[in-house]
Amino acid sequence: MISCLFGAYLLKEGKLTKDQLETVFETMRKVRVKLGLIAVSEKLMTIEQSDEVNRLQAIVDKRFGDIAVEKGYLTDEQVSRLLGLQGNQYLSFVQSIVDNDFMAIGDIEKALSDYQNENGFTLTDIESLKSGDSDRIIPLFLPQNITEYQIQHILICIRTLIRLIDSEIYVGKGYVTDFYEANYFALQSLDGDNKATLAFSGEGKSILSIADKFAGEKFDNVDEDSLDSVAEFINCVNGLFATNVNSSFMIDMLPPEYSKTKASFSGKLLVLPVYVQGEKIDLISSFGDIINK
Amino acid sequence: MAKILIVDDSRTSRKILRGLLEESGHEVVGEAENGQEGVDKYKEFNPDITTLDITMPVMDGLEALTKIKEYDKNAKVIMVTAAGQQNKMVEAIKNGASEFVTKPFEKENILKIIDKM
Repeated sequence: MISCLFGAYLLKEGKLTKDQLETVFETMRKVRVKLGLIAVSEKLMTIEQSDEVNRLQAIVDKRFGDIAVEKGYLTDEQVSRLLGLQGNQYLSFVQSIVDNDFMAIGDIEKALSDYQNENGFTLTDIESLKSGDSDRIIPLFLPQNITEYQIQHILICIRTLIRLIDSEIYVGKGYVTDFYEANYFALQSLDGDNKATLAFSGEGKSILSIADKFAGEKFDNVDEDSLDSVAEFINCVNGLFATNVNSSFMIDMLPPEYSKTKASFSGKLLVLPVYVQGEKIDLISSFGDIINK
Repeated sequence: MAKILIVDDSRTSRKILRGLLEESGHEVVGEAENGQEGVDKYKEFNPDITTLDITMPVMDGLEALTKIKEYDKNAKVIMVTAAGQQNKMVEAIKNGASEFVTKPFEKENILKIIDKM
């Protein structure tokens, strides 16, 4: 995620062109090997075990390494070693820029410092960004004074997007508002001890970046079929959230909803811009009450 | 190969499920988008197996399960839901559901369950 976030900043500042940034990402994709593949090549797991863990990742909110340890295929130490072999995303990003002669290392460091100042990040925040861990990165983009459960809800959504839709997503600065006008939406509300809603909306056809990948087909328009696909994705996210908080409180999942026409949301809304395959989509979350339409 | 009825309010889920069942040689005899329609189509098609989503408008999967079992106590029903609805799964099993599967669909798991039934 740091490569996409910082890459978007470098693009905005004119330090890299769009083509150069794409070349950097392409170089990174070629050298970045999935953890399962490294585990198989290191003869720590069989192909069947790796495939099984990949399948399980679709239905449980856990990382490859965590599932592999739970299944007894890897130890914690082996996962740490494999992650070391896989490499740090930020360092790969910097390496790729330098190797392609797009920027010098000193200029990248200067740009990172400017990026830090522009966003008001501390050195600890920058360390979190460089870690590549979405659970450490996303809270940096969320407003203060939101509940721990709402953060958890959003983190599960982001992790599920990374696992099922796009491993290269990134986010913009989140904000709280009491009114949101949606061009179209897909959502699901949760009833029970803690009411909540999770929704997606966007401009133009941006939402199709989720719809296409989740349904496994190419939609041409934002229509009932594509929005239903997004609603089902939200249903899966909420299911994982309900599993995680099951011991704390009861959640009753209401039927997912969608509309291809404009709608106004009101309530205490948190809006987080999420960039999926480069398309900006708004993730809208309410917690403590469901969104009023 | 089994004759299967799919009951789910999501057209995406119905399409994915139909695709993987037909790909494996099963016959999907009908689809319904809520529990009430599911009960009606069960009576119409008398399927070998019914997949029943839990969270649906008009009539949810638990009520539809009860009505299907009242009509045919030998009905074989697989409950389908996103994760996190353990309480409803337990209730469904108590009310006669044979099995349950979790979304998103995992092909090998579903086919294994259908073969077992």
